[in-house]
Amino acid sequence: MKILVCIKQVPDMESHFRPNGSATWFDESDLAFRMNEYDEYAVEEAVKLKEQLGGEPEITVLSIGPDRVIEAIKKALAIGCDRAVHINESAVASKEPWQIASIIAAYARSIQFDLVFTGMQSQDRGSAQVGVLVAELLGIPSTTTLVGFAYADGVVTATRELEGGVKGKVRLKTPALVTCQLGLNSPRYPTLPNIMKARKKEITTFQAGDLSSEPPLTGSSSFRHPEKKGSGVVLEGSVDELVEKVIVILKDKTAVLR
Amino acid sequence: MNLDLSEEQKLIQDTARDFARDRLEPVAAELDDGGDRSIMLDNLKLLAELGFMGLNVSHEYGGADAGAVAFSLAITELARACASTAVTVSVNNMVCEVIQSVGSNEQKTCYITKICSGEYAAGSFALTEPGAGSDPSSMVTRAEASGGGFVLNGSKIYITSAPYAGVFVVWAVTDPTAPKGKGISCFLIEAGTPGLIIGKEERKMGQHASATNEVIFQDCRIPESALMGKLNDGFRIAVVELAGGRIGIGSLGLGIGLAAIDRATAYAVERVQFGQKISSFQAIQWMIADANTRLEAARLLLMNAAFRKENGRSFAKEAAMAKMFATEAANDACYQALQMFGGYGYTKDFPIERYARDARITSIYEGTNEIQRLIISREILKNYSA
Repeated sequence: MKILVCIKQVPDMESHFRPNGSATWFDESDLAFRMNEYDEYAVEEAVKLKEQLGGEPEITVLSIGPDRVIEAIKKALAIGCDRAVHINESAVASKEPWQIASIIAAYARSIQFDLVFTGMQSQDRGSAQVGVLVAELLGIPSTTTLVGFAYADGVVTATRELEGGVKGKVRLKTPALVTCQLGLNSPRYPTLPNIMKARKKEITTFQAGDLSSEPPLTGSSSFRHPEKKGSGVVLEGSVDELVEKVIVILKDKTAVLR
Repeated sequence: MNLDLSEEQKLIQDTARDFARDRLEPVAAELDDGGDRSIMLDNLKLLAELGFMGLNVSHEYGGADAGAVAFSLAITELARACASTAVTVSVNNMVCEVIQSVGSNEQKTCYITKICSGEYAAGSFALTEPGAGSDPSSMVTRAEASGGGFVLNGSKIYITSAPYAGVFVVWAVTDPTAPKGKGISCFLIEAGTPGLIIGKEERKMGQHASATNEVIFQDCRIPESALMGKLNDGFRIAVVELAGGRIGIGSLGLGIGLAAIDRATAYAVERVQFGQKISSFQAIQWMIADANTRLEAARLLLMNAAFRKENGRSFAKEAAMAKMFATEAANDACYQALQMFGGYGYTKDFPIERYARDARITSIYEGTNEIQRLIISREILKNYSA
């Protein structure tokens, strides 16, 4: 069995973000980068499946970006992925989901993976499109927002998180792609000996441009902080009066109460 | 010149930071306040399973083989959340390193693996005595040759982790007639050995979760194989190994100092007095600038000492400088952080007073900062002697 896990390296979400010079994305200098949280669930689930199947599957972890993404790749290798593909693209932030998916699909098509795990979305761009686009380009079924995953005899049973606390169950025959959501699992910490041993695992590098030169379908026109709104309203009075005032505001200004 | 960390070092730093945030930070205040120590022991077990007890120890004995720089980074991250856990991890690493450096093959295979795997919650150093603190070569604990082994008598104080240590590195006098420092030997003694008695636990100002005890030897009989290194070479071993420990304690101080000033800075941009955030006052800005600058300088000194150690160069002077400067920067940062917090900082509702108490010992243990200055000046002056 061949498994592919697609990961993205994103800035630490506690960073202080500033628009870049062209005001189309954030300024990446001085930011600390980490593996996208949703991709950590993807890596963990893939490694759990490998363990479930007695270590038979070979897990390839893939990331697109400049050299700095190798840190995220090495984390995935330390956690239990077997080999890695680094697709070098210095301007990864300027690539939109269709282009990213096209690059991944161009690589994955030749390998014929049985299962592809991705995060549900990235923490920075948050389009939630790359996973499903890859599946479409590869012509394999996919399902998204997994909070449960089971595999037996070539069939994935996925539990999906839907709106309003509702869960859905989906069965897919492999080859298939799934996107992973918070709550699917608790990602393990990489052990220090495994971090050091992962240096010996193979990382193959491709140039993004050699895999796909699809033009963008969308583009970012501007990136800015939301405009500062006026200061909040401070309500005063007894509890009963406060409740009355809050109800009036909720009725007038929101859709919560009608 | 390159000051960037390697990817592996960054991942180890991230793992330490994540673990500290998830597991240590939530319980640090409770443990400080006399909480159940088994919580810390559970965390130590998890840290061992992740490889934190043998950062600079060979894979062969279950270590991470990650080097001295990674060790420094890890201790700093753990100390940002819980200094008691961090000091235990630092001492465990040093016990592993001294065994790796001078222990016999049997000692390495048996004891390093047990500390690295977490089978032993801790290892202890038993060097200091009531009458031998900064002047350890004046120790009087005696190891007399007897029946092919040794019999130990005497007492040690301030022994970190003693109640839950699986093994003790013990220094004792084997030749009382030798010149000072030339008649001391180093031993490795298992907990539970008859005659090795864990004495009273100190009631300390800080680092409460980390036990600090008296250890008494009463006709404690050990086999000849318990000797580590050569007979009467123990004091030299202590001097060499303490240098590595200083990187640990300096890194620990740095972690506490960073935690204190980070918390205080976050507070300063929220707290309003005289109609404005106190971070807009120059007095506060200078505290932020001074504390952060000193901590950054401390970090660079630590990285330099660790880098030199990792690359097999001399590092005693650099480790002493880093330990002295980092622990003073940490105490200073805690003072400034508490000042920024005002009265709130003096209460137990905020962690600043804990940081200040935890930081205070760092300029004392693993060699007082006065001893560090002595080491530094000695290393410099030896190049000037006629």
